[in-house]
Order: sequence, then C-alpha cells, then structure tokens
Amino acid sequence: MIQRALFPASAALALAGAAHAANDLTHPEVAQIMAIEADSDYGAYLASECTACHAPNPEGGIPQIHMLPESYIVGALVDYRIGEREHQVMEQIAKRLGEEEIAALAKYFSEAE
Amino acid sequence: MHFNRRSVLGGIAASSAALAAPTVMAQGAPRVVVVGGGAGGATAARYIAKDSAGAVNVTLIEPTRTYYTCFFSNLYIGGFREMESLGHDYGALAAEYGINVVHDWAVGVDRDAKTVELASGASVPYDRLILSPGIDFKDGAVPGWDVTAQNVMPHAYKGGSQTELLKAQILAMPEGGTFAMVAPPNPYRCPPGPYERVSMVAHALTEVNPTAKILIVDPKANFSKQALFEEGWQRHYGGMIERIGPDFGGENVSVNPAEMTVDIDGQVESVDVCNVIPAQRAGRIVHEAGLTDGDWAPVNAADMSSKSDPEIHILGDAAAQGDMPKSGYAANSQAKVCANAVLGALTDSRVFPARFSNTCWSLIAPEDGVKVGASYEATEEKIASSGGFISETGEDDATRAQTYQESVGWYAAITADMFG
Repeated sequence: MIQRALFPASAALALAGAAHAANDLTHPEVAQIMAIEADSDYGAYLASECTACHAPNPEGGIPQIHMLPESYIVGALVDYRIGEREHQVMEQIAKRLGEEEIAALAKYFSEAE
Repeated sequence: MHFNRRSVLGGIAASSAALAAPTVMAQGAPRVVVVGGGAGGATAARYIAKDSAGAVNVTLIEPTRTYYTCFFSNLYIGGFREMESLGHDYGALAAEYGINVVHDWAVGVDRDAKTVELASGASVPYDRLILSPGIDFKDGAVPGWDVTAQNVMPHAYKGGSQTELLKAQILAMPEGGTFAMVAPPNPYRCPPGPYERVSMVAHALTEVNPTAKILIVDPKANFSKQALFEEGWQRHYGGMIERIGPDFGGENVSVNPAEMTVDIDGQVESVDVCNVIPAQRAGRIVHEAGLTDGDWAPVNAADMSSKSDPEIHILGDAAAQGDMPKSGYAANSQAKVCANAVLGALTDSRVFPARFSNTCWSLIAPEDGVKVGASYEATEEKIASSGGFISETGEDDATRAQTYQESVGWYAAITADMFG
C-alpha cells in the first residue's frame, strides 16, 4: 500500500517541468472531464482494454494505473490524446476516447484494486 | 489424415474426468461453454464468470492442465525466459471464479441439441458456446512433413514441448551448421513470430556457435515488421541470416526428414535443424461444427458470433474477422467484446459497442524490442482497422530497451487477465 500511495507523487515528479495537463487541474479539458458523472458499468467495460497491458501488480516497463488519483488519470489521457505526452500505444488508445469515456476510465481505475 | 492437437494427445486426455468446481451457481442459471483455454477462451470464461458474479454457469474445456503460451516462446529459445515462466494453470479460474474447468477434448458440437461432445464420451449442454481452439496445420502444406516428423523437424508453433525440442536441437548443432526455417504462407498465427524466432535463434547461435548459418525459406514476398527485422539482423548478426523469398523458389519447398534435407525449387540443401511452420487453418472443432468457410470461421464483428449460428461465438486465431492479426492480444481483445455481448444476451446486463485493439511486440536482440499495433472497430462487414502505429527503423537504444521492457510488462498483465 505504501508503494501505491507513493507512486502518483513520484510519477508527478517525473513529469515536473513539462507543461503536462496531468499536473494542471485548471487545464480546461481536464476540469471539464472531472465534472462529468462517470458511468461505472461503462468504465468497467472500457477498462478491459487497458488490463491487457496494465496489471494490478505490474512487472517490467508498463506502469501501474490501478489506484491512481482520478485527476491524474484524466490528465494523462488528455495529454496522450492531444500528443503532449508521447507514446505510440497510449496515443493510439487515447485518441479514440471521448470525454465521457475518459471520465469513466479514470473513476474505474482510481477505485480498482 | 488431419494433424491436430487431438491426434497427438487425445489418448491421454480422453482418460480425464470432468471436474466438479466449487460452484455457487444458481440452479437454472444460463450455461456458457468455452472450448479452448488460451488467450481467447480463458479470457472469455474469466470475464463472463467475473462480471456475472454467479448468475451464469461457465464451463471451460481445455485438454492441457498447464498451458504454455506460444507468445514469448521465442524468448525461451533466445535464452531470455525459462519455460516455467511461460506455463499457467487453471487453478484460479476454478477456485476464485467458480468456472467448471474440464480437462478433456471437445470433439464435436450438436448444434440442434446445443451440446458439446467430449472425447471422454460426456456431453455438455450450452445456451451459448464460445469456440477458441487456435490453429491446426494443413495436411500436405509442406510435402514430406507431417505430424510423424515433428520430432525430427519441429514446428514449435504451439507452446511447450515442441519449443523445448527446437531449442535443444539448436544448441546441439555442429559448429558452423545450418538452421533452416520453412516459413508459413498468410494468414497464420502471430505474423512477426517466425522472424522474431529467427532473431532469437541468431542470438543463441551467436553465443555458442557463431559460424552457424540461418536459412529462411519463405513463400511470402513481404513479412511483418520486415524493415525492422532486416535492419536488426544486419546490425546484430552480420551475414548469419539468408532469406529465400518466392522470387527464388521460396514457395516451392519440400522436406525430407530422414535425410535432413530441404528441396528449394529443385535445389537440395542439407541442414542440421529444420523448423517447419506449415500453413494453418482453424482448430478442428470449428470445422466439425460446420462453422467454417474454407480454412477459417467467419464471424460478425459486433459480438464475434458465427455467421452460421448466432448462439456460437468464435475467438482468436480460428476466426475470420477482418483486419486483426491472429495474435494472443487480439484474441484477448475479442474475448472481452464477446463476453460483454454474451452476458447481455443471457442476463439483463448492458451491452456496449465493440472496440478492439492489438499490439505485437518482438525482440530482435537483447534490449532491442519493436512493436506494431492498431485500434479496430466493428463494421457490418468485418473488424476494421481505425489506425495504427509501428516502431521506426533507426530508433535509439533507449527507445528499443523501453519497448522490450513494455513487452515484459504486457506478458505479465495479459496472462493475469487470462488466468486470474
């Protein structure tokens, strides 16, 4: 649990210096998505696309996303969607997510063990 | 005769009995039967059991007690994984998800009675049937080769003992000897797989037998990630690897296991190891069930249901679905769409639009990983690609190392997603 609690902070530190939406809740798109009421059934369904790569207890080079703060997940997905954060797989995944889908996913993973 | 898993292991598997799972199923709950416990079947069984929370009775029929993944088996050949790390059992699916795991062969489907017949003689009724049997090899695809020769010329294209045999043969090659691969025609399981294998064989030989040669005999003019592989082979393995494509007779090949020769368009080559990966078709059960058109089983993209029977779904390598490659990742992705649709049909749960994705990682050399992938959507006609990506030639070492580390993370995640 300590590791999990620490991870978001260290992940945020790694991003410090770049103008990432993940650190910036005043980013209009992030705030807009955070205001959406998340559809938990839809979130669970969408999350099954993520869990092909993101394990609850990850190994290797794919980071943990379970139990991350909702705002961090929203910010990261927005960044991938607009290309501010680069990763071939994640950009491909994120660019077909709408705002309701990002909200549902962020809610799901913030609570998923 | 047909070469298939049944003919190899059927006698052993037939003696197994149906297991009674520690189940909490309601009497009269709808019954889902899943045939095949790989990336498609295990995932579908787990998701239906998990998401229905006991409202659906799930039976998984899989002959092997330990499933060795075909994906990552090349890394075993290259010395990057132990075989044990590729083996997975079904204990959690039975104990934690209440799935009735039956170690037996499904040998027939009675679509009128809606039952699956097992090699043991038992008959298992279903309300919905999910078939995910993977591949079989086509009879006569490589003249001179059949199942009786697979211990001399291994295919190693289903994980487990064949992979171990091929590696042992590679390590026993004489100094300066020749490893030959007869590559398959399209479509086949894991498009980059043969070429990742060549990379891993080259890596292993570079360490123990650096004057050895690798000969690929290939009926295809082009292959997956070709520029990436060819760049990597040049960079890491110098002149070790030669490929003979169709322009030079690569589609006119026969083998002679007794003589350890390969006949390439009339030119006979003596080789020390010969890895024959024959042309492929859907696993036997979908043919037995009358669901195929040619070699594969056509499906509707929205829910992976058979175009011949709306109460049967077909996942993974066996399905003719459109644009997705035949990969473990694709089967896992299709299984989740199928599970959602099947649950919606049998219970009052919500059904969401199909969405699919795939990424295939390949390792060329230590810390030199590459990937290709795409997103897909369901159209009336097929699963259609909606955009993709591929690693670039000339990428820096850090990117390649990161890509390899991602593949390690993916393996851990997808096997957890399959087996719990």
